[in-house]
Amino acid sequence: MPVAASHPTLSDYITYGTAGKGFWGNTGAYLTSLLKAWWGDAATADNDYCYGHLPRLTGDHSAYRTALDMLDGKVEGYLLFGENPAVGSANSRLHRLALAQLDWLVVRDLGEIESATFWRDGPEIEAGELRTEGIATEVFLLPAAAHTEKDGSFTNTERLLQWHTKAVEPAGDCRSDLWFCFHLGRILREKLAMSSERRDRSLLDLTWDYPTEGPLAEPSAAAVLAEINGCDADGRPLDGYGRLADDGSTSCGCWIYAGCYADGVNQTARRRPGQGPSGVAPDWGWAWPDNRRILYNRASAAPDGTPWSQRKRYVWWDGASGRWTGHDRPDFVVDREPDHVPAPHARGVAALGGCDPFLLQADGKGWLYAPDGLADGPLPAHYEPHESPVGNPLYRQRANPARRRFPHAANPSGPGDGPGAGDDRRYPFVTTTYRIAEHHTAGGMSRFQRRLSELAREMFVEVHPELAALRGLERGGWATIVTSRSAIEARVLVTERMAPLEVGGRRLHQVGLPYHWGHGGLAPGDAANDLFPIVVDPNVTIQEVKAATCDIVAGRRPRGAALRPFVESHARPRDTSPSGDENAGVPAPFPHQNGAVGG
Amino acid sequence: MSGLIGPEGGPAPGATGVRFGFFTDSSICIGCKACEVACKEWNGVPDHPLDFTANSYDNTGTLGANAWRHVAFVEQGTTTSGRGGNGPGAGAADFRWLMSSDVCKHCSSPACLEVCPTGALFTTEFGTVVVQDDVCNGCGYCVTACPFGVIERRESDGGAWKCTMCYDRMRGAREPACAQACPTDSIQFGPLDELRVRASARLAEVVAAGEERAQLYGHDQTDGVGGTGALFLLLDDPEVYRLPPDPVTPTRRLARMWAMAGAAAGALAALLAGSLAGGTGGGRHR
Repeated sequence: MPVAASHPTLSDYITYGTAGKGFWGNTGAYLTSLLKAWWGDAATADNDYCYGHLPRLTGDHSAYRTALDMLDGKVEGYLLFGENPAVGSANSRLHRLALAQLDWLVVRDLGEIESATFWRDGPEIEAGELRTEGIATEVFLLPAAAHTEKDGSFTNTERLLQWHTKAVEPAGDCRSDLWFCFHLGRILREKLAMSSERRDRSLLDLTWDYPTEGPLAEPSAAAVLAEINGCDADGRPLDGYGRLADDGSTSCGCWIYAGCYADGVNQTARRRPGQGPSGVAPDWGWAWPDNRRILYNRASAAPDGTPWSQRKRYVWWDGASGRWTGHDRPDFVVDREPDHVPAPHARGVAALGGCDPFLLQADGKGWLYAPDGLADGPLPAHYEPHESPVGNPLYRQRANPARRRFPHAANPSGPGDGPGAGDDRRYPFVTTTYRIAEHHTAGGMSRFQRRLSELAREMFVEVHPELAALRGLERGGWATIVTSRSAIEARVLVTERMAPLEVGGRRLHQVGLPYHWGHGGLAPGDAANDLFPIVVDPNVTIQEVKAATCDIVAGRRPRGAALRPFVESHARPRDTSPSGDENAGVPAPFPHQNGAVGG
Repeated sequence: MSGLIGPEGGPAPGATGVRFGFFTDSSICIGCKACEVACKEWNGVPDHPLDFTANSYDNTGTLGANAWRHVAFVEQGTTTSGRGGNGPGAGAADFRWLMSSDVCKHCSSPACLEVCPTGALFTTEFGTVVVQDDVCNGCGYCVTACPFGVIERRESDGGAWKCTMCYDRMRGAREPACAQACPTDSIQFGPLDELRVRASARLAEVVAAGEERAQLYGHDQTDGVGGTGALFLLLDDPEVYRLPPDPVTPTRRLARMWAMAGAAAGALAALLAGSLAGGTGGGRHR
């Protein structure tokens, strides 16, 4: 998306997104076709194809930054579609506090998830930190249709698009996200129809004419896919991104999806299993881009175009026909000879040599050394997690210096990079989070289902028998896990699987936490993400919830107003014990160690 | 797949009089419990009352009236066996996590059926064993008779319940719900004769791959239940999975019990006759 200050015109933005070599050389065609798909006839060469209608980035608009801004009262409203930050995001407590600062919140989900009920029954209400009467957020909970109740496509991480067809009508007021977005847009456009404000043109100029069908006026998902696929000036569906032009004669909602509706046929709905021994099933669904099942597959052949291995041959050069061929669609310029040398000043696709299989890299080569594009390159390196009980055995730099930390009173961390970072007596163990098969992410699709909830009803914590003995944790009993963010309770599962690590010259115990639980649903429990800080990687802002330092003690956590003082008292510095003591660094037992405390 | 299986994975229309069964290959069970969920959804089986067992990832516990499939999770060995080393997985070779989906065995000599006084239990045209709830009087004889502890009375309605191998689905030429839902084909459904052959071949494969303790369970037709209609490939002894190593249909002992009772009665009668004869013949010596 364009940055306000840097990309005032379409030409600036195209220049920014264009590489000298390979298929990013055609960025102008991709962008112009995208603008044509969105604003149709209103998008002309004279008005920069409505480039001015695009929203602009004015800073960091990532989800975590937005949550912190929300907490500080800088965000008015928020729409949550199938996402449950009150359980599923790092430092989920912070997210609940942040949602309580909104004026309005729209939640579209299958059930009454925690992000829609935090104001009524969230842990902060129980702890007395928030009062329902004191929360001004107006929450709109809109029931959503499940995938079985709507047409649409799934795109897997293998880039495969697979179409699914509605099996039943959604019950009651449940509606698909497509229905919601289309009719919201329709109603907004109707309300603005008489407007002469320039700012409203971006909405009024949109192509918003999808056909609807059935008793619920459901927009046709196939029509949306056809628009994404794109068409030429005569309205004929495109058969691939090679057809895209930068002169406004083509439209395409997403260039890598061009061809998914080739010949006017929904290619993603194909269901012909693979034939033959190659394992490729080109007629099952459709893979972006260009139905290629393995990207950069020209690399399966040696520089001279012959397969590296005859047994595993995949794509190769056929000299007789002068074309690349094989089991898959060749991910290469199909008639470019293996020994082709581009002209000295060639640009874009023409600049690709016969030995440049990595079409989307600026030099056509695979990269181990990445001098460009990464916030923390150019070479892979080992860093310890943001919170770690040990130093970095390889470098003086302990954790990734480019990681983003979001300093805030509600987002505290362990001692960081300073001295003693590897020796925090308050939080001597490492906790990690993961999923189990019985539940789905933050539980919105599983903890509200009887059949799944009964398989894993209670939040649990996994510890090794040695750690259980060290902390007096009883199998099936309760334990409290505490970090500088919060404390949660869980039932104890003692297992050899949670093997201690031998690092930094000592035995380091792990505390395993599934992260599916929250305060709502048929199987309620404390949220593991309450324990983690918001710290994200510098490239794609993925949260670090695989490692943090913690403590674990026997018994249930303090209730009500006793919870925060417990967390805060645990965060106070501790005296170090004389070395040689097996339990060095283990804090004294807490008063509630053997049972529930508080009310 | 044989001609006895139709396009929907169930018995083909012509496959009458053929015994069908399960082959559960625990070596490829991933513990997802899709079988448990599919079974409950299709058969309308109520929730079971357990909450958290602290026994690995098994919160179902045992087969019963409200659990017709049960995935056992067995954690064997130790990850800290003194081998030292560094990092995750050090010493992990001594540890393994076994999973196996248990189910009604559909015995060749079904004890539940043999003791049922009302005829509620019957053998179907597919050689499977099914309870008819509208005939069951809830006496519970079958519960104590089953050598596997499979069948159980349901608290809410008093009737005895267990796996039907989805009798209704089979009559509709569909495979049982658990087998259809199993993502790895750990649960296979088919004509029992074919499954027996397949199970033996798979065992040879698994043993050759180094699982020396692997064995088939329910495959031996001379065992105490005459072999089962639900075969299992286990990676260790049955006890490890809490399966009885030597299940016996109690009624198998009936003939011998009656014979013994008869012999005892005869001996008693002879003794009595002898004592009477002795009584007339000349007094007792004390």
